[in-house]
Amino acid sequence: MYLRNGKIGVFDLATCEASDAELTEDLVGDDISSLVIADKLASIHGEDSLVFGTGVLTASFVPAACAGFIRAKPYPDGWSRFIPILGFAGVELKLSGFDFIVVKGVSERHGYLWARDGIIEFVESEDLRSKDSWVRTDKIRADQGDSKIQVISSGPWGDAKREGSQLVIDYWGGEDKAGLGSVFGEKNLIAVAIRGMGEVELAEPEKHFEDSVLLMREHILKLGPNHGLASYSKAADREDFKKLVHRHVACYGCPFPCRTFLKTEEDPKEMRLAIKDPGYLHYDIPALEVAFASGMGSRDATLALRMCAKAGAEPVAVISNMKASGARVTPETIASVLSDPEDLRIDRVANFEASFQDEGAYRDCLGLGLCPRYWSRIGFDKDEMASFGESAIGKAPDV
Amino acid sequence: MRLRIEPLKCICCGLCETSCSLNRDSVLTPMSSSIILHVDDKANYFGLVLKTRSEGLVLARPEGLTSGQQASGSSGPGAKPVLLREACDLCGGKAKCARVCPTGCITLED
Repeated sequence: MYLRNGKIGVFDLATCEASDAELTEDLVGDDISSLVIADKLASIHGEDSLVFGTGVLTASFVPAACAGFIRAKPYPDGWSRFIPILGFAGVELKLSGFDFIVVKGVSERHGYLWARDGIIEFVESEDLRSKDSWVRTDKIRADQGDSKIQVISSGPWGDAKREGSQLVIDYWGGEDKAGLGSVFGEKNLIAVAIRGMGEVELAEPEKHFEDSVLLMREHILKLGPNHGLASYSKAADREDFKKLVHRHVACYGCPFPCRTFLKTEEDPKEMRLAIKDPGYLHYDIPALEVAFASGMGSRDATLALRMCAKAGAEPVAVISNMKASGARVTPETIASVLSDPEDLRIDRVANFEASFQDEGAYRDCLGLGLCPRYWSRIGFDKDEMASFGESAIGKAPDV
Repeated sequence: MRLRIEPLKCICCGLCETSCSLNRDSVLTPMSSSIILHVDDKANYFGLVLKTRSEGLVLARPEGLTSGQQASGSSGPGAKPVLLREACDLCGGKAKCARVCPTGCITLED
């Protein structure tokens, strides 16, 4: 099985027991989408399980093959509930030795799951309870001795099982518009930490590399110059935003990044490693839009999104509710709400989900391990993916 | 021939790492590559470490290039240390990292 580990990790938080299952051809079935496999795993292990997954093309040379996902129990009205995991988290999951990790049950104690080298263990960490997501990432990386560990964490809002929570990947928010921080909280799960030091094979390595380089060059010509998030959203195309831009940064394998780092604590043009916490990485388009609509400028919006990420709070929910209640929206008033939250009315918000008008195309793209934002911009083509599938996995994906 | 690195063109996509390992072992992994991403993500500080035969370790940091010294924390102590890795062989003159780099951060020059 090319581009797969052939292995599913299952961890039962109630018993603290880990087990493995084989990713069989029967389980994969006729549909190559990993989201379909995740649905099957949830039906086997229980709908309350969290399923972490990678697409078959995750970590390949196909442009923007960075995506993994987390699938949770659908909303009571049947609305599906899954989020992408981007940056390097999807790739690290693929190289951790697992194609999928199923997290069952509820832990008696607070702690985090630590997955690497085909091993999953639960690390008790009562000391991290109620700590913010940045502290969790720093502590887990320091304790495990590796700065490249990907930490998917909740924060105080997740611990408190608030509907308006969000999971944060390392330090940044934008992927979770489904309140999965609260699902972590229900399981007493502080975080899931992943490191990938394994390897996966390709069916035809040289052909896949050559085809992918050619495709990427075509994309670059088509896309033109990159301006980070401003290339994807008008929200970031304003002067006070541009003045704070430090650098644009890509997820794995992306030639046209949508992530723009703004420095608020030092000169944005400072390239030396001078301050450890100089700013925030923007890729949450609806959050920026609602922040600007509330009257904040780019600096205050950056501070606001950073505070929300630390708290594990979904910024659109926080700011929209403040605005609706007539409150003045500033970093100071947001800090007050974050520390003493009231119940929020949550409207469903789309960030990466908004890349496609058709949810089926979004699922297909993410289920293959490809970034929906990039591929919606390029034009997601099933036939093209089938062609790439042949050199990467040895057979054409049925998307 | 040698690799030329312009650190400020790096967007931290990681394709150089995996293409290097592909050349060595025909598999996808960053663990056997001669070129390594150095990332301090909270500060958005990132660059490359290249193990060469002639110049020792080339550190391509945002503030500039240095060579001949040992990199510190180049990939975290949990990863395979750079000193245990093979030096760059330029993929026999068709350096994959330069070919796959989307921004021209890594180029091959005479």
